[in-house]
Amino acid sequence: MTARVDSMKNGFLVIPFKLNPSDKVKNGLKDSSDRTDSTEADLVAHYMFMKKHLSKNNEEQNCLFLANLPLLTHAENLKKALAEILEQHGAVAHVSQLLHHDEFGLNDIDLSSLTSDLMSTGSAEEKRFTPRNTALLQFVDSASLENAWSALRKYSQEREKAKLVNWSFESPSMETFTNFYKPLDLDYLKEDIYSHMTLFEQREQQAQEETQSSIVDEDGFTLVVGKNTKSLNSIRKKILNKNPLLKHEKIVKPPTMVDKKAKQDFYRFQLREQKKQEISELLKKFKQDQETIKEMKSKRRFNPYS
Amino acid sequence: MAQLKRRASDTIDTESPWSGTGKSIHKKTLIEALENGAQVNGSEVHEESGNADEDESGSEEEQDGARKQRRVGQISAQDVQVARATAELFKSNIFKLQIDELLQQIKLKDSHILRVEKFLHKLYDTIQKVPEWEPTTLADVESYFKGKIVSVPFTDPKPAPSVQYKFDYKTPDVSLIGSFALKCATYDPKGSSVDVLLTMPMELFDKKDFLNFRCIHKRSVYLAYFVHHLSVLFAKDQLSEFLQFNYDYLNDDPLCPILRLQCKPGGSSEYNFYKTNFSINIIIGFPYGFFDAKKLLPNKNCIRVQEDKDTMTPLYNFSVLSSSTHDHYLKFLYKTKKQTEAFKDACMLGKLWLKQRGFSSKSAHSGGLGGFGSFEFATLMSALLCGGGVNGNKILLHGFSSYQLFKGVMKYLATMDLCSQGHLQFYSDLSPSSNLPTSRYLAEGFQTPTIFDKTTKVNILTKMSVRSYQALQIHARETFGLLSDVVRDQFSNIFLTNLNRCQEIKYDMTFDLDLPTQSVILDKFGPTEKIKFVSLENFVVNKISNVAKIALGERIKSFEVELVNYKTWFPISKRKPNSSSNIANIKIHVLVNPNESEKLVTKGPLNTEENTSEAMAFRNFWGKKSSLRRFKDGSITNCCVWNTSASEPVIFDILSYIFKLHLAENAKLSNSTSKQFQELLPLPNLPASSSLSVLSLGSFYNVRKSFDALSGFLFKLSLPLSIKSVLPVGPAFRYTTTCQPVPFAYSNPDFLQDVILEFESSPKWPDEITSLEKAKTAFLLKVEEELLSSNSEYKTFFARDESIPYNLEIVTLNVLTPEGYGFKIRVLTERDEVLYLRAISNARNEVKPELEKVFLKFTAKYLASARHNRTLETLAHSHPLYPPVVRLFKKWLDCHLLLTHLPEELVELIAMKPFVECAPYFVPGSVENGFLKIIKFLSQWNWREDPLILDLVKPEELELGSAVGSANGIDLDAKVSDSLRDNLTLSQIKAIQSNFTTLRKSDPQGLGIQFFVASKSDPSGILYSSGIPLPIATRLTALSKVAYNLIQTHGLNKQTVDLLFTPALKDYDFVVKLRMPTPLKLSSGVLETNGFKNLDQQQSSFPKDLSQMSDKMDPSFQLVKYLNMKYKNSIIFSSHRYPGINGGEKGDQNVITGLIRPNFKSPVKFRVNMDANVKPVSTEQVILNKEAIFNEIAVFGDELITEFEFN
Repeated sequence: MTARVDSMKNGFLVIPFKLNPSDKVKNGLKDSSDRTDSTEADLVAHYMFMKKHLSKNNEEQNCLFLANLPLLTHAENLKKALAEILEQHGAVAHVSQLLHHDEFGLNDIDLSSLTSDLMSTGSAEEKRFTPRNTALLQFVDSASLENAWSALRKYSQEREKAKLVNWSFESPSMETFTNFYKPLDLDYLKEDIYSHMTLFEQREQQAQEETQSSIVDEDGFTLVVGKNTKSLNSIRKKILNKNPLLKHEKIVKPPTMVDKKAKQDFYRFQLREQKKQEISELLKKFKQDQETIKEMKSKRRFNPYS
Repeated sequence: MAQLKRRASDTIDTESPWSGTGKSIHKKTLIEALENGAQVNGSEVHEESGNADEDESGSEEEQDGARKQRRVGQISAQDVQVARATAELFKSNIFKLQIDELLQQIKLKDSHILRVEKFLHKLYDTIQKVPEWEPTTLADVESYFKGKIVSVPFTDPKPAPSVQYKFDYKTPDVSLIGSFALKCATYDPKGSSVDVLLTMPMELFDKKDFLNFRCIHKRSVYLAYFVHHLSVLFAKDQLSEFLQFNYDYLNDDPLCPILRLQCKPGGSSEYNFYKTNFSINIIIGFPYGFFDAKKLLPNKNCIRVQEDKDTMTPLYNFSVLSSSTHDHYLKFLYKTKKQTEAFKDACMLGKLWLKQRGFSSKSAHSGGLGGFGSFEFATLMSALLCGGGVNGNKILLHGFSSYQLFKGVMKYLATMDLCSQGHLQFYSDLSPSSNLPTSRYLAEGFQTPTIFDKTTKVNILTKMSVRSYQALQIHARETFGLLSDVVRDQFSNIFLTNLNRCQEIKYDMTFDLDLPTQSVILDKFGPTEKIKFVSLENFVVNKISNVAKIALGERIKSFEVELVNYKTWFPISKRKPNSSSNIANIKIHVLVNPNESEKLVTKGPLNTEENTSEAMAFRNFWGKKSSLRRFKDGSITNCCVWNTSASEPVIFDILSYIFKLHLAENAKLSNSTSKQFQELLPLPNLPASSSLSVLSLGSFYNVRKSFDALSGFLFKLSLPLSIKSVLPVGPAFRYTTTCQPVPFAYSNPDFLQDVILEFESSPKWPDEITSLEKAKTAFLLKVEEELLSSNSEYKTFFARDESIPYNLEIVTLNVLTPEGYGFKIRVLTERDEVLYLRAISNARNEVKPELEKVFLKFTAKYLASARHNRTLETLAHSHPLYPPVVRLFKKWLDCHLLLTHLPEELVELIAMKPFVECAPYFVPGSVENGFLKIIKFLSQWNWREDPLILDLVKPEELELGSAVGSANGIDLDAKVSDSLRDNLTLSQIKAIQSNFTTLRKSDPQGLGIQFFVASKSDPSGILYSSGIPLPIATRLTALSKVAYNLIQTHGLNKQTVDLLFTPALKDYDFVVKLRMPTPLKLSSGVLETNGFKNLDQQQSSFPKDLSQMSDKMDPSFQLVKYLNMKYKNSIIFSSHRYPGINGGEKGDQNVITGLIRPNFKSPVKFRVNMDANVKPVSTEQVILNKEAIFNEIAVFGDELITEFEFN
């Protein structure tokens, strides 16, 4: 392995955490290849990338931007690991919270806010977009942040393996997995729905009063739309055109009444044109067919014995 | 050069059929002259090709080409005419062009023709040098051949030493016959043959020599004498070093030995034609018209055994008679060829068509699909050009194109019964006058295929058996249907696919028949049988065919008997081929009729007071199996009752019983592949499930019944909004779940069947997606409350549903019925679609594709699912084998860890392909056949270039016009199917194709979407295939390729089938083995492989506390799901979806395999949004931190993981 890298070119500190290699992995590795010499096997580490977060957003002050978080990271184990690093370098910093951490990408897309702004809480969290596998770590004040940052900088330059901080995982139990199959608690569900629906109705009421006029479409739907929408038809068309299946389907326009009524064989020139068109189409098709045959021939499609 | 040669050949052509010395020499000098000319004068060639227009024989296309070169870009009247004419004369322009191309491909190479002709001249000269032989007695003949290499190929029975007649040799009349002489031979990579006829002079025979093998024996001696001298003469000319001499039987007819000449490689002789891959058959014929043809009619006796003069000897008579008519038929065909421009091309098409389907001129009486080769095709066509209708009306006209001729013959074969209902008679008259008697179809059947030539008194279909005729008929029917298809291009299905390549795919089932003791059969092969069937092989095949035909009746469509070790050629030092093992090993190939094959009862005639002959025959045939039964309608009928079994088809049961009864006590029938494949299907843990037929859908009907009861209750509930519909959409409703549904088997991932609930429309649904889902849940809560209050035996619970990504609020009402089944009810409102679409329009551009995928998922799950379910359910009823085949296919996919990545609907559609679009094969009639056809399809399909368009409609009974008499050549136009069936129309197919082109335009390699599977209900073709990772798609194709190759090279046997279902774990980057705390096999309702003993352990109720159900659920599924979510960008994880089937003995094992995405296999530039666990290698580059990832996986699945393997 090449010399250890302590920071990336774009300003990220590389923060390694030593991992306790699992026996099962070790066994597997040993079986597959003996060439992995022991020194490398020892150096199983997780590398987190950190940078100071600069944002005008008030809620994101005093933050460290973290990339590549280990599995099942939460504020507590992160705090613990950080505390160890700080301790090594005699610094003190207070972490307040871990922001925007969505390990499994469940909330990558917020369908609710995309369909309506009724339920928005108005918090910046909703509009914010952080790439996957990243998070913000917020400190209580800028002093804490500075302390932590300098400690981390020193730590990233650490070359002694022994001084690397251990990252400790917590394994989920079997129940964690089977619990996904458990029924929802009925009372909780009822309560949740009740409170949500009351909130929703309240907001809907409010919104209606604000727009004052609600749009009723031909099916009698009351369509609640955002402030910027003016008429019903425009949004409807706009929305229906977004159907991704339409992109893949050709739409055949039905003939209009005028087209239907017009006679196609009244004038002589029409007949003439028709014949001409027929012949040219025939020829065009013939040429096309010849082309296809040529192409098929080049692909050796005509060998009955292949 | 080619032009020149063609001209040369054509010049000769006009001379042929050549026979006699003068013409042959003329030809020889011509060839020599031409060769010299071509060498000396190259410029002459140019001139010739310049005049191509005048060259009548040049193909139409060439003419076009020449013209077009002259007037580039101009539209000439001629062009228009050509385009128009082909559209009328042929099916379509493209079909004509394809035929032209094909004919170019299959014609013989000119250089090969010249080469073999050179040898033929040498042969002719040598034949003239064979000395004549005085009349000799049998004893002298025997002493003459004593000590010589050559033996006399006497037919059984050998002439008795007492015979009085003499044997001699006189110089024969030599002529070329067969398709080579007619110039309609086709190229065959396996080699083709040239037939040379030596006609024995008349003076060698007595008028009565056709009796009692006399002429046959004379011919054998004649042949042996000729072969002896020929080999001596060739040795003198130093030709014998590369020539191989062998005896063969002409068309497998043991009465007619011939000499086969082949070449070995090596030597520099100009006569060595090894490279041309030709063989030369020297056939000895009798003089035409010498024997009285009337006495050789099929119903006459020509072999007298003691005083018996009545036993018909049709095969013997045909052999004698047809030996005298080779020359005659060549002339007849040649005459037709001269009259009909496209005759030659049509013959070549016919020949290819027959060859691709395994038909040949060989006798079908000794097995195989014989009796109808290119000669019979050409003769039938000639007969139809002279009439052929019921009133002698012409079926074909001389001006027809090759396509029309071919189609006319196909239609005739498909619609006219030449066996049991009628026959065709024609006159092979050579006189050019126009007032010839016409061919005519007569409604009188002889129970044997008949096309009778009144001129020569030959039935040219004598070599066909009823069995091979039926096979021909069903193939012709199918092809006629394809030719009438106006919507799709069926060219390659008609001509380009070789059905014989893989017997496992051509036939539904193959049975091996072992006859250990042949003495029983030899006993039955008495003197009468001997003269009737000529050979033991014919006798045995006939016996097997008759027994099988009666025994199976409607259960099969067609079958073929194959003598595995049967070979007809033998060295010239032997008298006859070694025949002892011929009948020891017999294969019976069957095309099954799945609608009938598994019926339990074989019905016979009604039982009446007096014993009718039919009833007697029935009882005699079936022996002790026959019994009397009373049926629902009160009738009492003779019948046999069979047992169904989950592992063996009923057909097998019947055949093994009946062969024991009628062939030999110890006849052993085996069919291990069918058994093995059927046993691969997971058996439900239900009483008597091992005796249920594979076609049984009983377990699925129970789910349906339970659902119908539930939906009945649901409709009765009083709710704020009344229920509009309760739609079943789960796979069990279309019979396609991998495991059959078993009550209370809730570990089965398919246990909860999806149901969509729609309320009557209301404007009040919330206009925001989370609230909408909550409102739906509120309704479901109400439904649950009402349902439980009225029907307390139901159990219910609510669960979150993850089928639509990013919509985390979907809650389903899961209902457990008292019958032991579960249903997962979700609500669809008219508001959903709008909201998902609105989300797309409101989203930032970079997440739009993701949202479009969400919308597709929603459409597939909610909107299209009911229709998909309905379509497949209907189709499953018309294709009874579809459910077991698709279940096996799903099992195979899961075995190879692919099923989790493919939507079930897509899998089902792919599996439907061999059923709705089977041509040129037939609809699968067995589980293994259906499965192999899917594999074959997947291995050969190019998803990148071709859209898969499925016409999901019921199979159609082929419209063949109104029976007899309608086979009129004039109305050959493809009938536009005006029936009420809703097949895809041309415009719909065009639209789908253009959808495909646009899709591929934006993504030519198909990186985003590989599979394009469209049908009428989904013209977009991508509804179910978006979001399948490319490595998975390519792996499916690669796996099928490997599987298909394996079967092609090694056939189907225990090892190969096992191998087919063994996952290749070494192909993945790493493998993680899992063991679960609870075995899932039993609770998934899967029967243990070793019998019934666990039957009583099947759960018989749901746990009181429904939350305990989670103990018996598959935790590995959740683990893999979260791993895939976490490492979405860098690694693809796969695992078995059904540990109950693929998870070892008890169903408590699983594996997770990881495939690292190719872009992470090497260092990449560090970016913040790269979303992968990486470690730095330099200040800019990072690499996937595999060790850390493995550690994370180990930690994540700590309690499940037992072992890691790295490849």
